[in-house]
Amino acid sequence: MTVTEPLRLVVPATLVDARAATEKLMHLCDRFDAEDRALYGTAVMEWLVNVVKHSYRDAQGGHITICAVAGAEAIELIVEDTGRGIPPGKFEAAPAEVLFDSEDLAAVPESGMGLAIIKSVMDTVRYISDRGVNRLIAVRRWQR
Amino acid sequence: MLLEEISEGDCLVVGLQETRLDAVIATSFRDALVERIDQGHRNIVLDLSQVGFMDSSGLGAVVYVMKHLGHKGRLHICGLTPAVMAVLKLTRMDRVLKTFESRQAAIAA
Repeated sequence: MTVTEPLRLVVPATLVDARAATEKLMHLCDRFDAEDRALYGTAVMEWLVNVVKHSYRDAQGGHITICAVAGAEAIELIVEDTGRGIPPGKFEAAPAEVLFDSEDLAAVPESGMGLAIIKSVMDTVRYISDRGVNRLIAVRRWQR
Repeated sequence: MLLEEISEGDCLVVGLQETRLDAVIATSFRDALVERIDQGHRNIVLDLSQVGFMDSSGLGAVVYVMKHLGHKGRLHICGLTPAVMAVLKLTRMDRVLKTFESRQAAIAA
């Protein structure tokens, strides 16, 4: 196994740039099988969209800093922003999987699945908001 | 966002001609499908065979369309790539969305 150079991106906080950053990150993920690579990309996109829509509330001018290190055993991702962040306790309170009553059409969620997707895809994930910087640190092993 | 639309009897087949159904296009995709429903289409087949990436915004748009149809119509989905199916399974949406391997199977069901 080899360790590749860290990928560092600073991108405007827009949905289009979130998509482009996700695509670049997915290029680092060739040690996943196709399904895990897709799920990892989805989880990354979930967080970047969360930053755009909720931390920056779609305001122009914000930036997102992304650093990813593809190590021998896992890929580590750090995402930083300087927006409002998410309300205290919300990240910790989010479920670790998407849960709903599949027999009840009205209960099927149309939104609010992002944090559960991130938690279920990543092996470890932490969110820290300190002195104006919001930071997500997520690690996912190549093999589970 | 590019949609291919074909009428097959009383069925409207909509093929999304995009490689990503994500937050960038989710709202316009949802609105386009809702417009078709509001025009009177009740039997819709959604072909996602060109889509290799989906996030929860895209998935939420599909769910919104399914709920908008409610019990007065049907939404059949076909052409799911392994990447998209993995997201459906992770979120358990494979239990509520009616999926088919081929467009013909989705039309005939």
